[in-house]
Order: sequence, then C-alpha cells, then structure tokens
Amino acid sequence: MRLLQLNDVQKSYQPGIPVLKDINFSLDRKECLGIVGESGCGKSTLARCILQLEGLDQGEILFEGTPLHNKTERDIRPYRRQLQTVMQNPASSLNPKLKIRHSLMEPFRQYGAQVSLTHFQHGSEEEMARQLMEAVELSPDLLSRYPHELSGGQKQRISIARAISLEPALVVLDEPTSSLDVLTQMSILKLLDHLRDALDLSYLFISHDLLAIQALSQKILVMKEGQIVDRFEKGDLFAHERHPYTKQLVSLFD
Amino acid sequence: MTLLSVQNLTVQAGEVPLVKGISFDIQKGEWLAIIGQSGSGKSVTASAIGRLLAPNLKARGKALYNGKDMLRFGAKEMRRLRGTSISYIFQDYQGSFTPFHTIGRHFDEFLKAHFKLSKAQRREMAEQTLESVGLQPEMYTRYPFQLSGGQLQRSSIALALLTKPDLVIADEPTAALDSISAFKVLRLLADLQQETGCAMLFITHDLRHVRKYADQIIVMKEGAVVEKGDKQSVLDQPQHAYTRSLMTASPSLSAASQLLKGDDTSCVYCN
Repeated sequence: MRLLQLNDVQKSYQPGIPVLKDINFSLDRKECLGIVGESGCGKSTLARCILQLEGLDQGEILFEGTPLHNKTERDIRPYRRQLQTVMQNPASSLNPKLKIRHSLMEPFRQYGAQVSLTHFQHGSEEEMARQLMEAVELSPDLLSRYPHELSGGQKQRISIARAISLEPALVVLDEPTSSLDVLTQMSILKLLDHLRDALDLSYLFISHDLLAIQALSQKILVMKEGQIVDRFEKGDLFAHERHPYTKQLVSLFD
Repeated sequence: MTLLSVQNLTVQAGEVPLVKGISFDIQKGEWLAIIGQSGSGKSVTASAIGRLLAPNLKARGKALYNGKDMLRFGAKEMRRLRGTSISYIFQDYQGSFTPFHTIGRHFDEFLKAHFKLSKAQRREMAEQTLESVGLQPEMYTRYPFQLSGGQLQRSSIALALLTKPDLVIADEPTAALDSISAFKVLRLLADLQQETGCAMLFITHDLRHVRKYADQIIVMKEGAVVEKGDKQSVLDQPQHAYTRSLMTASPSLSAASQLLKGDDTSCVYCN
C-alpha cells in the first residue's frame, strides 16, 4: 500500500480561480519525492492540503489507504504525529517567548506517552531532548536558549528535530532551505538525507531550487500554474523527452 | 580604464572592525562579484562605497570614482553622482518602494529630480523602461503590493537603469526571490549590462549567480578579502579552502546528485 496517495485533487480559494488542478501522485515509504515550481504555482497550497491545514474542493488524499481529507480535527489528530512538517521560515516556526527546550518538546509532551519509538530511546523529557539534539548535531547547551540567540541554520535544525521527534512516517518539507545561505543549505540537506536513512522517514520535499530538489529527491514532479506538468526519476532530468518547462528550468539553473 | 578604485577600505562599528582594509578596482563596463556568507562584510562594503552606511558605522580609506574620492564628497556632490552615474538595486525590493505610491509615481519622482522633461515625456520614458525589463506598461498605474517579487525587482532594476549610470551597485538583488525568478532577473540584468555598458558591483552569497556573468570575483570572509582574481582562475584554481567549500555548496546541476555524498569539512563553516 502507498504511504500517501492523491487522486484528482482540486483546490481554489476564489471561485473560478483554481490553485490546484487534477493533482495525482503517490509516495512510498522511505522515499523522497521532490516538487519543484515557481512562486505561485500552488506547491505550498498542496503542502497545506496534505497536512490538513486546508480542505479540498474535490478529490482525495489517502494516507496508508485511509482518507484524510475533510475529516474533523478530532479524527485527524491520530494522524498528526505521522505527518509532520518543516517550513521555510525557521524564525516564525519557533515561539520567540519560549526557550528552545519548550518548543522542541511540545510534540513529545502532547503525544509522547502514547507513542512507541523504534529509533529513539523512550525516556524522560530531558533524555529525549538530548537524543534529538544529538540527531540534528547541535549542542544540548542550546536547549536553554531563546530562538533569537540561534542562527538561522540552528533554528532550522531545531524545527527538524521537532518534526522527527515522534518518528513520523512522512515529513512535508516546504522550502526548508530557502532562507539560508548556500553553505548552511548544504549542511541542512545533508542532515535531512542522513535522517531519512537513519529513521526510515519519507519526505515530500517542496522547493523552487532545482539544485536542492535534484540533490535530495529520488522522484521529481514539476508544477506549473497549479498542475503537474512533468514527472520523472531523478536520473532522467536531462533526458530529451522532458517537458519544455522542465527544459527551461534546467537551462536557467545550468 | 579604472572606473572605481577602492583602496584600503575599513569600516568600523565603534571599535569592532566589520571590513578590514580591503582594496579592489572595477574597470569600465566590468562585472565584479563579491561573494561571501552572511556577516562577511560584503554588504557593508557596498554600502560604504555608496555612502549608505548607518550613522554608527565609520568608513576609512579611499573609494576613487574616476579618480575622485567619493568618501570625501559632500552631500550635494554625492547626490549628483547618485542621480546620474551610480545607482543601486537592493535585496529588499519591498523596501525599495513606498507602499502607498503607484509604481509610476516612483518613476515620475525620479525623472523629475534628475531631468527636465514634460509630464507626457516622463510617462513615455517610464513606460518604455518598464517594457525594457519585460513588464507591461500597465504596471505604471499599479501599487507595489499588486506586483509579485520578481516584478517588483524588475521595476527597481528599471529605476536603477533609468539614468544610464556608469556603475550599478547590486546588493543581493536576487536573494529574496525564488530561485527561478532569481535566474530570470539575473539574465535580464546581464542583458541590460551588455546593452548599456555599465559596470556592475554585484554582491551575492550564491556562486551559481556568479558563474555565468561575472568578469572578476572577490571572496570575502570575516571582513577580509581571502581571494580575488578573474572569474576563470578563481573558479578553476581556488586557492583558499573557503572558496572551495563555497564551490562545493553550489555545484552545477549535473553534479547535484553527488552533492550530499561523501564526507567533507565544509560544515565547519556552517550553522
């Protein structure tokens, strides 16, 4: 069974102006699927729909065969720990008034008792925090700091640690590296690649950066104006049967 | 011919040095790229040359523009230079526009300040310039919030090139755009540079934005120049480990698959 499957998903915010049109794709366990597209192509709306932060107009989103879409918040709750996200702006993902420890351990406090962990050792909150910091290669000293005392890259590592803390099946990465400089971008991509392997995660990786997409994903979808215009395995990016838009992107980046 | 010669430029915030005595020249019509990470002093360098430093920062050294030291210019001389010879493009395109004025009004103010033209002439010139950066003349009547980031950055490029300057200082003009719009804007900038023959001081952290268009490259780290030279020699034979790590972090697309493989030490510079 597919981990995630989208069938004919349609979404609009204003009548007559579709943001997502006929979106069909699936994602397997331990796979990283990249979605590349320009600002305004609908890729973040797609992420929000999958995360159940937005409802759908039509179509279905199946998680291990179970429909997720248009469920009540109460019915969604058990799935939230399986479905985590890392967003673009690490500064706004962390509450500026809370210490890092507090923000990091929020999912664990919410769900920790009910969750059986396979990769992390189930322990006290302090023990969990230490393991998570180690997983994202940060010093545990940062736990007692406030977000403004951390660099952008460090904050993004905290967001990643929080997203993986309950060992979710799927992490939706919505432009996780776009607000970082290139060296930090690369270190974050490396970390994500390593964690996927170590914790058996699946990623839906959304970015406008074809280079990052090509580096991290196994399969790639190209979105334009709310539609998927091209789909291929990573190795086929330069193949001549690519869609003209994909070719245009390749020529811009190369 | 040397257009701008920066000699032993130092910028300090109180006792803290942000730029530590750097020197470089820009020839007429040349594209010089300064690359470095956040905090390397590259933007402060650009601001110092443009006399745009915050009041708490003090610049010393020389910035000779056609042989005259800009750092010693009075406000009036500087204004004349800014209107006609030097212009700027900033990263924060939103901050470059007044939110409650139309795009057209920005052009009009600019043209009024620097040229003697009739209202109709100004409008015509503004619309032509908008078209030259790939925007429809209708944008003239729009407000900044009605434009996308890429469109706004195109508008600020249009404004910057309106007076046909000899030198354009572009401080991370593409950093706030999505990378697809960024590459398009970059290509536009390169085309316009070819057309007008202006020199370009281009600040960026992304080597990918340098590969195609730059003639000369300066690599900055912690306020100092660690490497400089013509593009080919810097890219082919980077001398400094920092330059090499910047290069690994922004490979060509065909090498992207290998980006995450292997162990390297570049993360020493991260976080």
